[in-house]
Amino acid sequence: MTTRATRGPRRRTVVALAVVLAVLGAFVFRLVDIQVVNADDHVQDSLTTGNLGHTTPIAGNRGSIVDSDGTVLAASTLVYDVQLSPSLIEDVDASKNNPPEYLWAEASDKIAAVLGMTGDELRADVAADLERDPDSQYLFLKKGVDTAQYLELKELRDDSGLAYLAMKSRSVRVYPNGAVAGNIVGFLNGAGEGQYGIERMQAECLAPTDGERTYRQSKDGVVIPGSETVTDAVNGGTVTLTINSDLNWYLQQMIAEEAQRQGAESGTVTVVEVATGKIRAAAEWPSVDPNDIDATPSQYWTSQIFSKTFEPGSTFKAVTAATIINEGAADWSTSVTAESREYFSNGAEINDPFFHPKYTYTLAGALIDSSNVALSKYGTMVKPEVRYDYLDAFGVGHKTAIDFYGEESGTLHPASEWDNQSLYTTTFGQHFTITAAQLASTYQTFANDGERIDLSLVESCTNADGTVVEQAEPEHEQVISESTAAQVQRMLENVAVQGGLSERIEIPGYRIATKTGTAQTPDGKGGYKSGVYDVSIVGYAPAEDPQYVVVVTMDEPTKMRTSAATATAFQKAMTQVLKTYRVTPSTEPMDELLPKFK
Amino acid sequence: MSARNAAVALPQPHETPREAPQRGLRVVEAPRSRRRPRLAYALVALAGAALIAIAQIGLTLATTHDSFVLADLKSEQRSLRLETQALQEQLAGASSPQALAVKASELGMVVAGSASYLRLSDGTVVGAGTSADWTSTVDPTGSGAVANELLTQKPTVTEQTSSAASADEKPVQEPDTPPALTDGLPVPSTH
Repeated sequence: MTTRATRGPRRRTVVALAVVLAVLGAFVFRLVDIQVVNADDHVQDSLTTGNLGHTTPIAGNRGSIVDSDGTVLAASTLVYDVQLSPSLIEDVDASKNNPPEYLWAEASDKIAAVLGMTGDELRADVAADLERDPDSQYLFLKKGVDTAQYLELKELRDDSGLAYLAMKSRSVRVYPNGAVAGNIVGFLNGAGEGQYGIERMQAECLAPTDGERTYRQSKDGVVIPGSETVTDAVNGGTVTLTINSDLNWYLQQMIAEEAQRQGAESGTVTVVEVATGKIRAAAEWPSVDPNDIDATPSQYWTSQIFSKTFEPGSTFKAVTAATIINEGAADWSTSVTAESREYFSNGAEINDPFFHPKYTYTLAGALIDSSNVALSKYGTMVKPEVRYDYLDAFGVGHKTAIDFYGEESGTLHPASEWDNQSLYTTTFGQHFTITAAQLASTYQTFANDGERIDLSLVESCTNADGTVVEQAEPEHEQVISESTAAQVQRMLENVAVQGGLSERIEIPGYRIATKTGTAQTPDGKGGYKSGVYDVSIVGYAPAEDPQYVVVVTMDEPTKMRTSAATATAFQKAMTQVLKTYRVTPSTEPMDELLPKFK
Repeated sequence: MSARNAAVALPQPHETPREAPQRGLRVVEAPRSRRRPRLAYALVALAGAALIAIAQIGLTLATTHDSFVLADLKSEQRSLRLETQALQEQLAGASSPQALAVKASELGMVVAGSASYLRLSDGTVVGAGTSADWTSTVDPTGSGAVANELLTQKPTVTEQTSSAASADEKPVQEPDTPPALTDGLPVPSTH
């Protein structure tokens, strides 16, 4: 029962409760108003004017290309494009709360000093832009500014308060070693996609996967905790090549000197490891520096080693010899007579490279003297279709397993299409075309005891998370038997020792085997240029246990017009290769010389 | 006895049973003093509420403070990374074979010909067997020089800020020839 005594405190309680309920009711009312009644309006507001939520893509880095030792040949880095908002300059200078440390007159001097312009030029540019459009928000200043300059400009903008300056970052490709292996590495086009070389062939391995970052931020740019979700970007993988960049540099330097010394149009050197078929160096001149592709004519932007076809000439006499030996039709001592010019029964006329009386050559002698007539006669010991099959088995008319971008396969006409002349000229490397890479592969077959191992250029692709994806194992094929290869190897060593260039190509301490080749260059009108030739020389060392094959080609040398022009280049190239890989010098003496004549 | 029982048996008008107070009636002397509520309980309640509020505020402060610290550290990391990048760019091309070869040739080094090898098992020298001569097989500064645009780019960092950066680029130097040896090569003492 409420008595006066209890009524007082009870009333206070009720009143207090009522007040609380009233306040609560007010809040509930307000909440309902915000969350239910006007909800859509508020959400719309937050999207349009609040601007709290942001999504930024996180760009991944394109992977780098490294050589067999890990030397970086291509990498991605950031450069910056500098721009100004001219209409903001006045506002910034006039700002009372936050005046800049330097006014425009002085600031423009500082900015210009960093960018390598004069202050006057900069002020004139800005004045001209403002005249053109007084509200101009954008004046482009300089493209491709490096990080050191970016940091200075950043200091000017952030610390000195020059808020009208802006620097946007941009990813570019840098090639630290310049033109070394430049034709192999390739370069990107304007859109950042690989255009030539490994950059294009391995684009899948090198390409990054972009990530995303979604967050809400407060007015001063601090991210509201708990509102950030990040999908990480995945960087591109690293492509490891089989190339040795130091060796490649030396060979590029050397062939550039030699080709210029011989007055040639261009030159290449290819080094293949016999035991694995890996290309250890692919040097050429002129070579492209991917940092500065416009310095080289565009025909040299791709690799000549893979894309320039030429008739091999005498280097393929060894293939004819291998064919007839493997078929059991002859061996090194089988003899034919040859004059320096002969007319064959079907009307073909074949000339030797030099005048000589009628000789009775052995097969070895025919190779040493590089007699076209003798080889034509040796070629008749097997059917043309058989010779075609062996040429095909050695890789003529097929691209190498590398399938370089822009690689040519060369042409080999079927034996049925060979006419009277080409029936014989195919025995000494004419009427079909090859690339320098195919020539290297052919002699790798000889050097590897008749087993051809497909050429390879890429070792592996290492993903950003560290997993290594090895290239597929190259194919092996026994093209000629080991005993045939042994005979051909012995003959090739005799060519090196008894041939005309033997003193120029000699490498002290090593036994080498070589063969030269001279080819006529097509003049583009269906005939051949006269007096200039595409010359080549191919060889391997050491002869008793071949480790490396070197092919040197030169286009149209003018000082020495025969394949003698390549002799010094070959000697230097092979010396350097043997030094680089510390190949043990030859200790077994050569077998006795093969007689040239019967 | 029966009259009294009858009187008792009949329902009697119910009167408020005023129980005979067993205890004695007393005169109220003075109102019992109301017990004041204990101050301690109030203080504890308030303090508890205050503590909870403070704890709440404190945790929120700590969380947001961390995000400010994080923002600071991230910006510091970014500026350090940019500095590293700037320093690395100054080295760009410096370790390329072309640059090393030019520096080596300025020091008087040459790329010699075929090498000789010392076979340790029996002490024989295999290979060329002759000493190297001083003709270089290539001339890195000559007409065949392999191009590298990174080495030919002119530096654009201004004088006043090059002190902030590390080594200056492309120093023009006379070839550093090693000091002349007058009393043989220095021989290390080995055990």
